[in-house]
Amino acid sequence: MGPHDEETERYLKEFQPQAIRELQVAPLPRTISWRRLAAAAAVAACVGGIFWFSRRESTRWIRGTNTKAPTVIVVSEPPHPSILALTTLALQDKKKFDALLDEESRKSLPRFQEEHSALKVLAKD
Amino acid sequence: MKQKALEQRPLQITRLTADEVKSMYEKHGAALAAYACSCGLDHASAEDVVQQLFLKMLGKKAFIPQAPLAYLYRATRNASLNLRRDRRRETNLRDTESWFTHPSGNQDEILHLQQALKELPEEQRETVFLKVWSGMTLLEISEVTETPLNTVASRYRYALEKLRDRLGEHVQKRG
Repeated sequence: MGPHDEETERYLKEFQPQAIRELQVAPLPRTISWRRLAAAAAVAACVGGIFWFSRRESTRWIRGTNTKAPTVIVVSEPPHPSILALTTLALQDKKKFDALLDEESRKSLPRFQEEHSALKVLAKD
Repeated sequence: MKQKALEQRPLQITRLTADEVKSMYEKHGAALAAYACSCGLDHASAEDVVQQLFLKMLGKKAFIPQAPLAYLYRATRNASLNLRRDRRRETNLRDTESWFTHPSGNQDEILHLQQALKELPEEQRETVFLKVWSGMTLLEISEVTETPLNTVASRYRYALEKLRDRLGEHVQKRG
């Protein structure tokens, strides 16, 4: 820089910019963070989805078990012969009567001959 | 010393602390406001622009400038030009407003200087502000503006020549 330039620079430095007011740092307002909001929404959606899915599955399972539950087949047993019929049979055909009693007792009394029968042990005694 | 380090931060600069921002404001705020005035704003608007810029730097999502001072000058210029464009229909009373002070208090001399600064090309005016009122060396200016040193030196010399031509009588009186 030449002497003229230095002189001009010195002259310029005599001037000072007007002072400005202090930096007024106000507390920043709470702003919504869109990233956080999106993350929270995603988490909520996941949790909600899991909840909904688990509920749906359990409901389906219950329905499934209901539908798949074995239907109870009521097998109607042949009606027991009435006392009158038995008496008549006893008077008319004793062999048939005995056979009928055997059959009825097999149905109504516990069976001692079955392999896992607890009564089999008692029967042996 | 700390201020120098701040202005010459390397590229891998990290976030500015609040104290650093406040310190920059105290040192360069007034010069930046004057610079904003030279871009066509009144002093109150210039103050607002500078305040806004520093507050933005203090904010959570602060831009991380690689050369904070150069960034501030550029941002001040852009904000000032935008504001001036938005307000171009407003009454222009700026020409009689002073954004400098002088020990003599000679308002005429101040207005002369302001007018001369306004007439400088953008790059030259920026260089003058950085050198004279922000106290940077030409080497520092070349670094923060990412301009070759010779170019910066030329800009400054041309600017001083023009200012001397415009303000000749005042300069010579002092000399």
